[in-house]
Amino acid sequence: MSILGGGIFKGMKVTLWNFVLSYFRRDRLTTNDYSWRPDGDLPQGIGDYPKEEGEQLSDTTTVTNYSRNFPMLLHDGGEPMDTVRCVACQICERECPPQCIYIEKDYDENGKYIKRPAIFDIDVSVCMSCQICVEVCPFDAIVMNSQFELSTPDRFGGLLVRRDDLLKSNDYYHQIHPEEAAARDQKMAAEKAAKEAKKKAAAEKAKAAAEKKAAEAAKGDAE
Amino acid sequence: MSLVLIDILIATVPLMVIFASLFAFTTWLERKALARIQNRIGPNKVGIPCTRISLFGLGQPAADGIKMLFKEDIVPRGADRLFHLLAPILALIPAMLVLCFLPLEFPWTKSLLPVQAFLLDGAVIFFFAITGLNTLAVFMAGWASRNKYSLLGGMRAVAQMVSYEIPLVLSAVIVVMMVGNLNAAEIAKAQTGWDWFVFSPWGFAAFVIFFIAALAETNRSPFDLPEAESEIIAGYFTEYSGFKFALFFLGEYIAMFAISGLAVTLFLGGGDGPGLAELPWLSVIWFLAKIFALIAVMIWLRGTLPRLRVDQLMGFAWKFMLPLSILNILVAGFAWHAEHLENKTITVITWVISLAILYGAASGLNQLNRSNVRPREYKYAE
Repeated sequence: MSILGGGIFKGMKVTLWNFVLSYFRRDRLTTNDYSWRPDGDLPQGIGDYPKEEGEQLSDTTTVTNYSRNFPMLLHDGGEPMDTVRCVACQICERECPPQCIYIEKDYDENGKYIKRPAIFDIDVSVCMSCQICVEVCPFDAIVMNSQFELSTPDRFGGLLVRRDDLLKSNDYYHQIHPEEAAARDQKMAAEKAAKEAKKKAAAEKAKAAAEKKAAEAAKGDAE
Repeated sequence: MSLVLIDILIATVPLMVIFASLFAFTTWLERKALARIQNRIGPNKVGIPCTRISLFGLGQPAADGIKMLFKEDIVPRGADRLFHLLAPILALIPAMLVLCFLPLEFPWTKSLLPVQAFLLDGAVIFFFAITGLNTLAVFMAGWASRNKYSLLGGMRAVAQMVSYEIPLVLSAVIVVMMVGNLNAAEIAKAQTGWDWFVFSPWGFAAFVIFFIAALAETNRSPFDLPEAESEIIAGYFTEYSGFKFALFFLGEYIAMFAISGLAVTLFLGGGDGPGLAELPWLSVIWFLAKIFALIAVMIWLRGTLPRLRVDQLMGFAWKFMLPLSILNILVAGFAWHAEHLENKTITVITWVISLAILYGAASGLNQLNRSNVRPREYKYAE
């Protein structure tokens, strides 16, 4: 028979170990000690903690390889809006549990839908970092960023992250989450190859059908 | 007459200053300890303003206090404005008041014997009478807010605090029986020379019951049902903001200090400790150190245990703590008579027997209270 109240002591032992070891083993800590700036300098005049007025979303270094904080939109290098993967299909907008994404499609001057978003806003104050947008995106266009310095002195406009601030290159993605980015690229390449193979097969089939038809027609002519 | 007033001020103002600053330190300590238990860092940035000195985040309580002072005071439209204002004040005053009954022997109060508040005969009774007011304050806050969560929190608080007051008082009765005096200073004096009550079977059982009941009285985890965040937002102070909230917070922590101080007085020998013969003022240090040891255990428990359910809470009070504390009074009564025979063998036998009775009773009650719920058996789903 176990001693009365022994379970409590067992639990207290666990928490005591957590308490003590957190001082000695840095790898136990789930967060890193936040440094004010990547270069370690304090901002001018303490008190403007988040950042200076007007400075938005600086490129912060990664926290850890596995940190996922806020979504970003991927593009494949070059001019961001030319190579953006997002086609404004609005699946993520509909799936988002707290409804923090707002998307509008882009149209050219003739009113024709071009496959990219005109507006893509995410509300930082509403987003709960659930990654469901990442899960549902069929184009691998939205992935999680590890940037955590999202606080801002402006609580009205500043908390709404705009399309141009969300756009990040695939290279940046490779930089912050190398393994995940490589896996995703591989998956995309495989999907593309499969699609092309299917297309090729379909084309060959169509070609064969056409040849058969032509042969039949030639046969008919001969008769 | 005016001299008496000055004496009273000299005796009481240090209490207010010391415990209010200890409150600030304790909030920091609690956040830091809980953070470390969860492998986080905790507050570590706020230090001396306008410098880069962060002092392990010790400036955090001051920053919090300033924030609270400048926040808007919001009163709900349907609230009873008078009682909404009175509740936090009423929560703080009894907690502050009972600090005077702690036998803290400050060096400068030696010459002011007539006004020392703790010389009051019946200090223990007064302590329980005044801390009982806290229940009223909590329910007043819940009722006056006109918010269902506040009211639920207030209801829970009343049920919990009324239930746990009984084992609390009954376990204190043991010490009063043993000393034969209700004066806090006399009780502390009776334990000098490592003759603490916690070092006897009945005293230890009483101390454990007292500590558990004290946790429930001060709404500390795992008995923090009145303010259960995940269930009823913040309980009775859901509708409080700004400085009224700060008063509640302060009152809660001062009540923690007060009840730990009473536990130290009753069971842990008051200001007793080594080195008192050479340096008499050390007794204050020992007293505060013991209070802090108890507070540290409270924080540790908060980081360890999950919150109880309401039925578990009430069952624990009425079906486990109450019978055990009544039995403990009986055991202590017999032990008092046995110890007065001044016979070593009889004393040892009494200790063994009372230890066996108390442990047997505790595990028996535990077995009796065990709910016969077995793991669910599934008929169709597998």
